Amino acid sequence: MKKIININFHSRVIPIEETAYEILQQYIESLRRYFAREEGRDEIISDIENRFSELFADKLKKGAACITDDDVTAIIASMGRPEDFEADEETASTSGAGQQGPAGSSTTAGTGASDAGTSGAGATGSSQQGGGWQYNTAEPRRLYRAENDKILGGVCGGLANYLRLDPAVVRIIFVLISFGWGFGFLLYFILWMVLPTRSLPAVVRKRLYRNPDDRVIGGVASGLAAYFHIEVWIPRLIFALPIILSVVSSLIGSAFWAHAHFHFTSPEFITGGFGGTLFIAYIVLWIVLPEAVTASDKLEMRGEKVDLESIKNTVKSDLESFKGRAKEMGTEMQDRFRQMGKEMGPQIKENIQNFSGEAGAYARKSGSGFGHAVGVLFKAFFLFIAGMIAFGLMIALVSLIFAGDGVLDLKNYILSGFWQNFLAWASFLLFFVTPVMALLTWLIRRITGVRSRTHYLGYTFATLWIIGLFCFITLAGMVMNNFRSRQHTEEEFTMSQPSHNKLVVRSAQPSGRIYDTDWWFNDDWDWKHRAPFYIFNDDSILLTTVKVDILKSDDAQYHVKLYRFSRSDNSRTASELAQQISFPVQQSDSVLSLAAGFAISKNQKFRNQQVLVAISVPLGKRIVIDNSIRSFRWFNFSGNHRHIHWSDGDEDNWDDETDLDNTYFWNSNVEYTMTATGLVRSSRLDREERPEQPERPEQKERPEQPEKKENQDQNDKQGSDHNGYRYQGPDKPAHKNNSDSPAIKSTTMLTVPYRGELSLLTALVHTL
Amino acid sequence: MNIENTQSQMRKGILEFCILSVIRRGEAYPSDIVEEMKAANLNILEGTLYPLLTRLKNAEMLTYRWVESNSGPPRKYFSLTQKGEAFYGELEATWNELANAVHALTKK
Repeated sequence: MKKIININFHSRVIPIEETAYEILQQYIESLRRYFAREEGRDEIISDIENRFSELFADKLKKGAACITDDDVTAIIASMGRPEDFEADEETASTSGAGQQGPAGSSTTAGTGASDAGTSGAGATGSSQQGGGWQYNTAEPRRLYRAENDKILGGVCGGLANYLRLDPAVVRIIFVLISFGWGFGFLLYFILWMVLPTRSLPAVVRKRLYRNPDDRVIGGVASGLAAYFHIEVWIPRLIFALPIILSVVSSLIGSAFWAHAHFHFTSPEFITGGFGGTLFIAYIVLWIVLPEAVTASDKLEMRGEKVDLESIKNTVKSDLESFKGRAKEMGTEMQDRFRQMGKEMGPQIKENIQNFSGEAGAYARKSGSGFGHAVGVLFKAFFLFIAGMIAFGLMIALVSLIFAGDGVLDLKNYILSGFWQNFLAWASFLLFFVTPVMALLTWLIRRITGVRSRTHYLGYTFATLWIIGLFCFITLAGMVMNNFRSRQHTEEEFTMSQPSHNKLVVRSAQPSGRIYDTDWWFNDDWDWKHRAPFYIFNDDSILLTTVKVDILKSDDAQYHVKLYRFSRSDNSRTASELAQQISFPVQQSDSVLSLAAGFAISKNQKFRNQQVLVAISVPLGKRIVIDNSIRSFRWFNFSGNHRHIHWSDGDEDNWDDETDLDNTYFWNSNVEYTMTATGLVRSSRLDREERPEQPERPEQKERPEQPEKKENQDQNDKQGSDHNGYRYQGPDKPAHKNNSDSPAIKSTTMLTVPYRGELSLLTALVHTL
Repeated sequence: MNIENTQSQMRKGILEFCILSVIRRGEAYPSDIVEEMKAANLNILEGTLYPLLTRLKNAEMLTYRWVESNSGPPRKYFSLTQKGEAFYGELEATWNELANAVHALTKK
């Protein structure tokens, strides 16, 4: 049962099935398109419609109640479809001066048909094979804005029509002018306001399109390739090469020179240099170039003759490829749905338009105009972000590999037991390596144009990655568990009172090899972030997690208390480990020598063992902390909170557990006197008491140190020449940085001078 | 080489000539023309015919008049103009030349 509508068809009322009407509409539409350029188009179509009407009337007269689908189809068959018409016309009327009519001739040279109006004279035979489209030469040519070919205001489209250029070219020129010299914007707006709009036919034969059939990202490269008739991978390579090169070179650079920056953190590596221009050019082209959707578009893209033959062939090949794709329809759809998450509305709109056939193909796809441009920008942005994340993962992986050798050894100090090790490997492989592998595969596939038939690989990768994620979380949980409980021991160091009412605290030099970790951390990072340990020998490492606190003594004597902390999963083990910490302290009169650090073995495991030296200074007495204490790196894990809290001694929010009341801030190499109000610089005190005398801090003995230490001494003296004020300003708790000399950050008792990466390699080689 | 292409080109070459011949014999409207050509074993689609007729009309080879009919919409009846006649003469001459040439070449 079908719905019937009545149509007024050439002044007759015809009852016709709605579906039949649709078919008729489409046919007429296709005729309209076919005869678009034809001079007598309306007349022809009117004639044909008349014929239809006549036939309809016949049918009705013969007794049919209405016109059905079959009727319409039959008439169309006898009339013929446009693609079957044999009389295609492709002539320009410009040759016969001002001739309105087309030359009635066939396209072969065989008959040598002459132009209208000059019978017999073959000279004006103007059947141009693949010449231009017909122009309406009656009107003088004026500059309009194009109504039907606009991205913003159609200015470029109109210009292109007037100048007979490819609109894309005009747009590109406009963009260049705008961004290069600035006045392009103004010019555009003026034109926008001044020019009237008109629906303009396309003028150019060969236009630059984007090719949506063969796209990696936006189809820009393949569109270019089709236009210039070169292989697809050539423009792709041109676009991609600078990016790849700069990424690779920065990777290599940072691998071999520790102070090379990882540029991937900033978009410099894309925008900088030639690569940047190409990247921006790609995006501009993406916005500006329309997509070749219809068959005629695609032919125009290739610059081929757009006639029935070639359209037929294009449509045929499209159909065949579509058939082939229809087999993979299921996976294709999945692919599209996945992409939709990234892509914005215009893409979906385009797909729907494709599926609904060529109705309304005249509305240029770029008619969505500004929205299209914004959509492209969004797409590009998302792709960019996704790419960045993937690159970040990849670079993390590469750096892990490079540092892997050293890391491997350390791993044993943290992980214990079979399961932890296993989980560590599993999570590393699955969590880190898998996305990198996935990214590489995807890249290679895209570039070589291989399309995977199924998405098993993608699902496999995703599953593996999720498993890796779980492993990683489990591992993290287990490791954190090992730091859950914290215990400490406390003992007093029996000491004799120094004779000069002053105590100097210093630490010894470590004699192990240095684990120079500057490769891990960029030079720009604060130097206090360096890893706080040294490799002692194969079985143990030397930790420098030591802190010195100064308190006010309750009596008139110096006291030194040693607190040793450790963590573990239970308190018993924690206290055992704490007991096992060996941190010798020696005193020779005024000098309190602390060990350089304490060793932990692989068996003991790294459990954030710490040593706290609490020195109580009695009133009126002095104390100096030597610069050698700088070598200590205190840090603290808080494992029992929800998050890992890494703090080191410089932060204000100290953990409650290690916070001793009434500690006083001190700066190294400065002599302090304990007063009732706390530590005060001796120099200041003395100055207040004896203002006339110039102040000099005592010359302290220093053990042999590399030349950098000498520099520092120089700076000390200079600093003290300024009445004891250091150039870094008054004491500020936040700035315990002894920024006297930049050499400080590398002075930590290196037996091998700092040479960046070389030290790491040397250290590693030595451990082998 | 596409055989269909060539064949179609051959046909296209003589279509106008044939149409003009039919019309020359007497006033005709498009369906009639199609019928006659079919009778002569030259099948042509109506959709091919209409544009050709319009073009010829625009080139002033043909003229038409409307004829009312009570059983349907008014019809266009085409006839040859003076120009058309001259045009036809030329074509006929060309056709004869061609036919002779082809005949001569294929007979051997």
